[in-house]
Amino acid sequence: MTDLTTAPPAAVSDRGFDRVLQFEAGSHAVAVRNVPGTHAWFATHFPRRPVLPGVLLLEDLAELAALVCADGAREWRLSGVRTMRFRHFVGPGDQVELRVRVTGAGADSRDLRAEARVDGRTVATARRLTLTRREAP
Amino acid sequence: MRFHLIDRIESWEPDRHITARKVTSVTETTWRPGPDGPELPFGLALEALCQTGSWLFLLSTGHRRRAALLGVDQVTEYGRVRPGDTLRMSADVVGRHEEAAVLDGTVSVDGRPVLRAEGIMCALIDAERLDDPADTARMAEALLGGRPV
Repeated sequence: MTDLTTAPPAAVSDRGFDRVLQFEAGSHAVAVRNVPGTHAWFATHFPRRPVLPGVLLLEDLAELAALVCADGAREWRLSGVRTMRFRHFVGPGDQVELRVRVTGAGADSRDLRAEARVDGRTVATARRLTLTRREAP
Repeated sequence: MRFHLIDRIESWEPDRHITARKVTSVTETTWRPGPDGPELPFGLALEALCQTGSWLFLLSTGHRRRAALLGVDQVTEYGRVRPGDTLRMSADVVGRHEEAAVLDGTVSVDGRPVLRAEGIMCALIDAERLDDPADTARMAEALLGGRPV
């Protein structure tokens, strides 16, 4: 169920998210990224068992986290990860629900908890993603 | 584009240590825009390190076991990777069991660390489930012998 507390930036759809289910700037977001079988990485990861690389889940969570933290002229970039766990493989046809929530803030940093789910099952978690602020390109 | 983020294995000691490198090019499609130009995403620098560790276990087991990433305790980025940089990955095994292993490692560019990961946990699974053994052998030969993959 879509619950847009505040309108997500147009950039959400430009960054590879296929649906935005919840978005509250500075607080949290839930977005969906579909994983079609046409994904280029599947040819080599792996030839006999296509699996979405776990680091790409991490990148998606970080991308969504950066959009939640976005504050105009500056952008936020992943600079640290604590306690990341990959619990199940993600493969062709899966629809990954990405969830991030801000848990702490410093002058130039934000901490977020993150989770990825497929069909309601948790496939990956990060206890803490740290994003740091810098000038936008 | 292939998800092979390692080009050469430079040294390895079974079940203990490995060093490898990956060259980068502006022609690759993996760059993300940054304030000072394109930069390699955090996750792909981490992946280069994880693939280096996976090759250590492929080589150490005669290509029978490949590492599947289960988690990582801590990853910290110290610098950016730019097009044209050469990544040098160095990984040390800090725990090893029959079906699982833990590594620590660093990715460096020109001698400066750009990413450090501690507690990389992986399951060591049957390599034949994921790839044709003949292809794995050819890749190993190329990585070790310097022939193009």
